[in-house]
Amino acid sequence: MKRWQIILVRMAILALVLGAWELAPRMGFVNPMLLPPLSEVLAMLKTQIARPVVQEAIMITALEVIVAFIIAVPIGAAAGVAIAEFPYAGAIFKPMLFYVFSIPKSIFLPMFILIFGIGFQQKVAYAAFTTAFVVLMSATAAVESVKSDYILVARSFGATPLQILRRVYVPSMMPVLLETLRISMIFNFTGVMIAEMYASRTGIGHLISNWGENFQMPQLFAGVIMLAVVAIAFNETVRFLEARCSTWRT
Amino acid sequence: MQYVADMKGAQTAGAAIDIDRVSHVYAGPEGGVQALSDVSMKVGAGRFIVIVGPSGCGKTSLLMMMAGLRDHTEGRIHVHGAPIPKPDPERVGVIFQEASLFPWLTTFDNIEFPLSLRGMSREERRRRSEPMLSLVGLSGFGERYPHELSGGMKQRVSIARGLVQDPPVLLMDEPFAALDEQTRMTMGHELLRIWSTTNKTVVFITHSLTEAVYLADEVYVMSPRPGRMIDHIMVDLPRPRTYEMMATDTFGRLRDRIWQQIRKSH
Repeated sequence: MKRWQIILVRMAILALVLGAWELAPRMGFVNPMLLPPLSEVLAMLKTQIARPVVQEAIMITALEVIVAFIIAVPIGAAAGVAIAEFPYAGAIFKPMLFYVFSIPKSIFLPMFILIFGIGFQQKVAYAAFTTAFVVLMSATAAVESVKSDYILVARSFGATPLQILRRVYVPSMMPVLLETLRISMIFNFTGVMIAEMYASRTGIGHLISNWGENFQMPQLFAGVIMLAVVAIAFNETVRFLEARCSTWRT
Repeated sequence: MQYVADMKGAQTAGAAIDIDRVSHVYAGPEGGVQALSDVSMKVGAGRFIVIVGPSGCGKTSLLMMMAGLRDHTEGRIHVHGAPIPKPDPERVGVIFQEASLFPWLTTFDNIEFPLSLRGMSREERRRRSEPMLSLVGLSGFGERYPHELSGGMKQRVSIARGLVQDPPVLLMDEPFAALDEQTRMTMGHELLRIWSTTNKTVVFITHSLTEAVYLADEVYVMSPRPGRMIDHIMVDLPRPRTYEMMATDTFGRLRDRIWQQIRKSH
């Protein structure tokens, strides 16, 4: 199939879904109280975005996501590399970390509230906590994915340990690391959302959860659209960086 | 250019590589494992040496020791008159099993990798890698990535990378093992052509008896672990070698002698 055909089919499917969203409630196939027509939701989205409270919520959510990411990635990556590189650290910590990794992180949320309250810090701390584990696991896998042959080759040409790190480990791990960044961003965003919906005074997650409790369906769907746009924007940003870095060479 | 002085010493001693009663014991969880036992060999400069032996006999270990990539517990290994406690790309180039090229680098960058470790400028590197590329018959492929090359081409790049620093000794660890039979034959032939124009001392490991006889001036046969030298065979076939020689009686007798030695040692 040619590229324009694929795009055409995609557009057609999108139009179909959006059309169904508009028509189904209007024609009585679904209860408009539960699924308001698309046009109504879009009108509500416009109204909501104009409200300073909502604008502030978006800014805060985005800031929480960014700060949590900036904290989680270096900590997770450093710990992951340490575990993969130092056999003793690996032998001691790896099973423990795998046990903790298997526990749903949301059960720790009440503890985070007790320690950090229900403000900005708690969202960042909780999201960074969940994300750091994902980064740690992937970073460990990335280091272990470096073929020992490559290291041997570099050594045979007299490479120093620092040169091996820069010229073999980093480029060899790069594809896995970039993929990790994208996936951990999804976990990171989810972490912020869960924390906001659980207990908060602001943020998109908090608004959505409130609207749901008050049965304000147009507002709720408007919130979902807002959130989807912000999440996709983050994902595409990381993907853009990924594409930029793939052409990076030593 | 330290090795030039060493080379003079080696010439008086008459050997590019001098391995004298080398043994090696690996520390294992249940005491030591004897990998090599009392191995000696003397390799004259410019000779093409092939080592054959069963899997696990320690021939790769021995090669890694000559490359300075691995320690040994007893004996002495001299390359061009001096011990080799750590890798020295000025003296020894290594070509590994499979191609082991870096997939994130182009052909040029792979060949120039050893030079770039020494901080050589881009122009100087290119000036030295280009003749290597044409030597291995890959002119015009410099900007390709390894995944765009066939198995034989990758191994050619690997050879070019081993030669780019012009070391007098080239160590090759089953370099063609992953190739299909025809490609393997062609590569063997190519290697002899390259060797005859560069005057390197080559130590080449293989499992293939035909390859051994076809390539070598001398064949060393090793026993199963602990690896010992059980035979040293002079291959007195004329050079340049041709495919037709494989059908001769001399070729058959030499291959048979190696085979008998390997079989007896089991």
